[in-house]
Order: sequence, then structure tokens, then C-alpha cells
Amino acid sequence: MKRFITLIILLLSSSVIFAANAATDLEGGFKLGPAIILITILVVFVMVGIVFRAKNTNDFYAAGRGISKIGSGMAIASNWMSAASFLGMAALMYGAGYHGLSYVVGWTGGYVLLLILMAGQIRKYGKYTAADFIGDRYYSRTLRAVAAVIAILISIAYCVGQFGGIGLLFKWIMGIEYWLAVVIGGAVVLTYTLISGMLGVTKNMQIQYVIIIISFLIPLFILTFKFDYFWLLPQIGYGSVVSDIVGGIPLAETADLVNKYGHEFAMVPMPEYAMPWDPATGQTFFQWIAIAFSLMIGTAGLPHVLQRFYVVPNARDARWSVVWGLFFICILYWSAPVYSAFGQILSAHPEIGTLEKDAIVVYTAQLGNIHPLIVGFLAAGGVSAAFSTVSGLLVAGSSAFAHDLYVKVFRPNSSPKVQLRMARYGTVVMAVIVASIALLKLALIGRLVAVAFSLAGCTIFPLFLLGIWWSGSNKQGAIAGLIAGGSVSLIAITYFIAGTQGLALPFHEFIDYYLGAWYFAVFGAPLAIIVHIIVAKLTPETPIEIRKFLTESVHS
Amino acid sequence: METNNQEYRISFFKPSSPQTKANRDMVLWLLLIWALAVFGFHVVLKLIEEPTPEPILLTYQAVSKSVYQGNASLDEMQSFAGVSLQVLSKVFIAPDERVELRSALNWALFQIADAEQEEALKAEIASFKAVRDKTTDILAHDYQQAKIELMAMAVPVLGLSDRDVRTKILPLELDTEYPETMTDENVAQLELVLNKYLIHNESVLTRMTVLGFPFHYFYTAVFLLILFVLLCWIYCVRTDVLNKKYGIDD
Repeated sequence: MKRFITLIILLLSSSVIFAANAATDLEGGFKLGPAIILITILVVFVMVGIVFRAKNTNDFYAAGRGISKIGSGMAIASNWMSAASFLGMAALMYGAGYHGLSYVVGWTGGYVLLLILMAGQIRKYGKYTAADFIGDRYYSRTLRAVAAVIAILISIAYCVGQFGGIGLLFKWIMGIEYWLAVVIGGAVVLTYTLISGMLGVTKNMQIQYVIIIISFLIPLFILTFKFDYFWLLPQIGYGSVVSDIVGGIPLAETADLVNKYGHEFAMVPMPEYAMPWDPATGQTFFQWIAIAFSLMIGTAGLPHVLQRFYVVPNARDARWSVVWGLFFICILYWSAPVYSAFGQILSAHPEIGTLEKDAIVVYTAQLGNIHPLIVGFLAAGGVSAAFSTVSGLLVAGSSAFAHDLYVKVFRPNSSPKVQLRMARYGTVVMAVIVASIALLKLALIGRLVAVAFSLAGCTIFPLFLLGIWWSGSNKQGAIAGLIAGGSVSLIAITYFIAGTQGLALPFHEFIDYYLGAWYFAVFGAPLAIIVHIIVAKLTPETPIEIRKFLTESVHS
Repeated sequence: METNNQEYRISFFKPSSPQTKANRDMVLWLLLIWALAVFGFHVVLKLIEEPTPEPILLTYQAVSKSVYQGNASLDEMQSFAGVSLQVLSKVFIAPDERVELRSALNWALFQIADAEQEEALKAEIASFKAVRDKTTDILAHDYQQAKIELMAMAVPVLGLSDRDVRTKILPLELDTEYPETMTDENVAQLELVLNKYLIHNESVLTRMTVLGFPFHYFYTAVFLLILFVLLCWIYCVRTDVLNKKYGIDD
């Protein structure tokens, strides 16, 4: 720990400060105020992590099953509110207008599915991890291993976007290059995760939620107040901002409403910001629907989200914690569009240059001339958002590795100590892989994270849905469904990666459109479910013990 | 064996007890509301949409013919230049599309300018460019000064009012290099860009306003989220009631 802080301070002091090439100083050099705020917050997190240090494997995985509904709701929200929510959503709306709302709807509406179809039942099933459930319900060690591998892949895909966000914010705060920022940010989040383990993280999550949400909301009150909109509830007050963007804002008679660079708060009409699937955004109706759908079912299939329900004391708490969790999440989601709307107007001048969309939340606050310390707090909140999610994901991924793969498949007789050690190794390896991919900057943060959702929607979601609600669902069906969903995922992701490398595979236009990397679950998930059902009907029934357990323990 | 098995079969659609039946009915209702609210609304939004041009596109269509035939009035030429300038004022225009728009703008500008104005403008543009290339701070005095001077010179040529929002960006879009004539190719490219940025999917749902929002935007960004929380809340309350009724303890 100490060594780490020393390292950070060393890097801070020795970091080369890059003069911005652009004529604006939005990016700028090293920012002392924001850096101090960030370090303070991180130190608090780590201290809390140490106080609630994980003492045994049970704590490490499921936080001792002793967390209240509202607390658990906050933990769900904090675990959920990632760099994608904090930075990525505003970025998508900033760049693609109404299209970005499909992410807002997708990332909230999925909780309805999760709750009414799964939450209580999963808690009643009483397993630790998603792979545990799948291995047990489908009475197959192979499936458990495959599910564990998929859980790890999903965690990695999800983390890549987070590391991207951490990199951008560390870059902004420290005035260093992106790659260095990813490395430093990654090292810090890894240390933090390793030390605290899941008990510490869960306790932290409530603190993190509060910090994230406050840091996100304060600038909105200031922006709406400053630019003369209804500021008491910015989430409603920005409605007029949206209408103003659509209709255009004439130059005011008095020029007191200006951005940081003296550009008037005025713009030509830009209906493309709010009109559905506008040709100017290059996004279509199909893509809107496909993204909303994929993100929704992906939500109900994400291992680290499903795993949250194991930490509440009973099924009733599992259900209510979703309501609270969703409400806490929505507070952020009602607010994110405000940033993109103001960002649109404040950056509407060629002198601002092309802004990194994923940092638009921070840039908007800067352009709106908000006090640098408040902007610094905002950036630190963004880092917290990415941190809380990354630590949860690293735990989910490493527990899948240690608990589901190593112990249950390879070394059933491992002592808890060995198991914990394996979990820690797994965490380190994952963090390194994720950081390496994040350096490639393959796409916008929100889209990178959406890949994980589609992957979960094609693979894990059908297994949970059918496994819980249909006793006819059996091992063979599960395997066939996984192959179908997995193949669709593989095709979509292969085409996406080939595309980023400039390779044009056969039918790439068709595949890129209908199986886009951020929404391929729109076809993949229904296919997996249909294949699963057909094969299950043709093959031997699920053993009676499992059906009995389902009937007596899960559905009663 | 068969009858024994029968007891332990679970299917969502074939509930085996009053409690599971009640749960199924509730879940189906909630799912129906959820699906209609999200997807149903957007299908409606799609079905009733009318591609609607911005007024400035109609202006373009009204003047373009005479502009390209070379018999446009001063007013028409100025309107024509204003169209490209307006699209350039939007935030996201792809670089190759910017080129088309700037070509049309600068071509029109120098069609309007007389010989004397042309010479002065070109000198001013060149000197602004020189300042711009070496400035590292857009707030620097010499940069601001050069910008204001160029703006003051170009605005009257284009017939813009001083309070026209497009003047904000005008100096940055001026260029001494522009096509000598608007070829058919230039025109076709320009019109592609204009149609892409100036036609929007509007309908009664987008024109209505609620609390300042365009209705459809409010519905999706605000109302749907409230609805989701509400659906979850209803589910939890109902489940608690059902569980109590059927004596289930969880």
C-alpha cells in the first residue's frame, strides 16, 4: 500500500506535462486540486477496505450475507454505475442524440426483467456464483466450467470500457498520456480490489454510491442555474435545453451567457439531437430497438449482477433491493442526458475542436465555467464509478476462476487458503488482460460495455430463464443453446474486431448491421432459447432430484 | 413413475398451484406493460413519423436552381451561402462533408464579392489564417482581434445580421481556396450532405412539448425510467401480498 502511494506520488511529480496541442486548455497539464481530491477519495476507500478486510473465502465471495435492503440497493447501484453510466451514456447522447437514449432505457429496463423473472428465485436457489447455479441446475461439471469461462469473458469485456474511462480521467487529472494513465489507474484499482476483498467493497459501495451521485449532481444544479433554466430539478429543467437545441438559440442581446472561451450560449437549430433515429446520426430504428433489447436481457444475465442477490439475507430482501437499486441507478440516468444537452450547446464552436466524447461530462462542466475543484470532484466521482464496478467485476471474474474452475473442476480438495490465493492470482491476471485491451481504444466506452451485455444475453440469460422457469430444460438443451448463443457471439465479435483492424470479412456489411457488436443479442438470445427448448424436448428429462429441488425450494 | 414425476414438473405457463398461477398472471401483465411501453411506443413513433425538412433546406431548394444557372439575385446568393454556413454551424459534421459545405460557402462568398471586396477578403483571410496557425490560446488578443476583423468584413458581404448566430463561426469557415465553378459533382455531393443533416423524423409526438421537453424525449428519458421503478415496486408489493395470502415465508 505505502509503496503504491509512494509510486503514485513519484509518477505524479515526474510525469511529463503535455502542453495541449489544441488551442483550448480543456485537457491541460497536471491539476493539483482534482488530484488531491482523487487521492483523498481513494485513500478513504482503501482505508475502509482495510477496516473491513476479507477474513475468509465466505466473506470474499458473498460478504457474509448480512446486508440490508437499502444498503444492498445502494451496493447494486454503485456496482452498476460504472464508467459507462457516468461517462459513456452522456458521450453516446452527445454524439448520437436520441439514439443514446436506447442505452438509458436498456440499462434500466433490464431490471424489470431481472426482478420479475429471477431475483427472488435466484436467492432461493442459494448458490454463490452464476456458474454454481448453472453447474448445479444442469448437473454438469463441464457446463459449470464453460459458464465460469463465459463469466470471466463477460467480466473482461465489461472491464475494458471501465479501464478506458479510468484512463481518460487519470489522463485528464494528471496531464499524462493515455497509456500511462491506464497503467497507473489499473494498478491502483487492482491494489484496492486485492486488499479489500468483497466485504470491504460492499461496505465501500454505499460510500461510493453517495460520492458518485453527489459529484455527478452538483454541476447540474450549477449549469441549469447559470444558464437560466429551471435549476431546482435539473433532471426536468433541462427539458427546455433540449427544446432549445431543436429550435436553435439566438444570440442574446446581452452577452453574459458564455462558455469558458467567451462563445455565446447560442446555436443554430439542431433537431438531430432529439429526433428519433435521425439520418445525421447514422443510426436506425432497428438499431435503437436492438440495443434497448440486448441491454435489457443482458442486464438479467450478467454474472456480477446476478451474484448480488446472493448477498441479501432472503428472497424478499433480494426483491426489494432491486427496487431500491433501480431507483438509485435512475437518479444517475435521469441526470446523464443533462450533461450531453449542455455539452452540445457549450461545445458548438469549431474553436473547441473535436472533443473526446467519452470525457464530455467533464468537458461540459469545464466549458460551463464551473469551479475547477467541483470539476475535479466530478472527475473523482467518475473514477469512483469505474472503481466500484471494476472491483466488483474482478471479484466476480476471479471467483469464477478460483471457485468454479479451480476448485470445482480441477482441485476439489483445495483448502480455503489456496482458494483465496487463486482468487487473487485470477484478479491480477484479469487486470493485466483488461488493461492491455483498453490500451487499444476499440470503441466508445458505452459500446464496449454493451458488448458484455450482448454476450451475457446470448449465453447466461437463457440458462437462468429456462433453468428457473421450466423443469423440462435439461443439460443437452443447455449445451445446444450455449453453442447457438456462443456462435452468434463469436461471429459478431470476430467481425467487430476484424473491422477495427481494417479487415473486410465476407458479408461484413450485413453482419455488422444485423449482428452489431453492441446488440447481437437481439437475434442471439432468442435463437439460444429456441434451440435450447427444441433440444431439451428431444432428449432425456432433467433428473427428478433437481426437479424436486426446483419445486420445493425455488418455487414455493 | 410417470405420476410421481408429474408432481415435480415446473413450467411458467402451466402453474401447478393457485400461488404460482397468481404469480404467472402478475408477471405476464407486468411484462406486457413493460414491452408495450418500451417497444410499442417506439413502433408507434416509427409508424407515424414524417421526414420533415428544416426551413433552411426549403430555402436552398428555392434558390439553388437560379444560383447554379448563374442568374441569381444578390439576395438569393446570400441565402445560398447561408445554407452551407448553417449546416457548418452544427456540431457533428464529418470532415469530408465539411469540405463540401465549405466549398459551397466560399464559392458563393466570392461570387457575391466584387473585385475590391474579393481582394480585401482574401488578404484578411490569409492574415487570420496566419495568426490562427500559430496561436496556442484562442483567448489571445491578436487572435481575437484578427477574428473580429475578418468577421466584420465578411458579414456584410453575406448579408447576415450582426446578431445572426451563424456569425459565431463564420471566420473559421472562410478559405481562399474554393472551386471555380460548382460542378454537377459538387452539387450532388452538397445535396447529399444537406439532405442528411436537414431532414428529421418528426411527428405529433415530437412536436408536442411536456415540461419543456419534446414529448417523445420526455417519455423515453424521464417517464420510462419512472415506469420501470413503478413496475418493480408493484411487483414487490404484490408478491408480498400473495406470499402472505398463500402462507409462503421467504
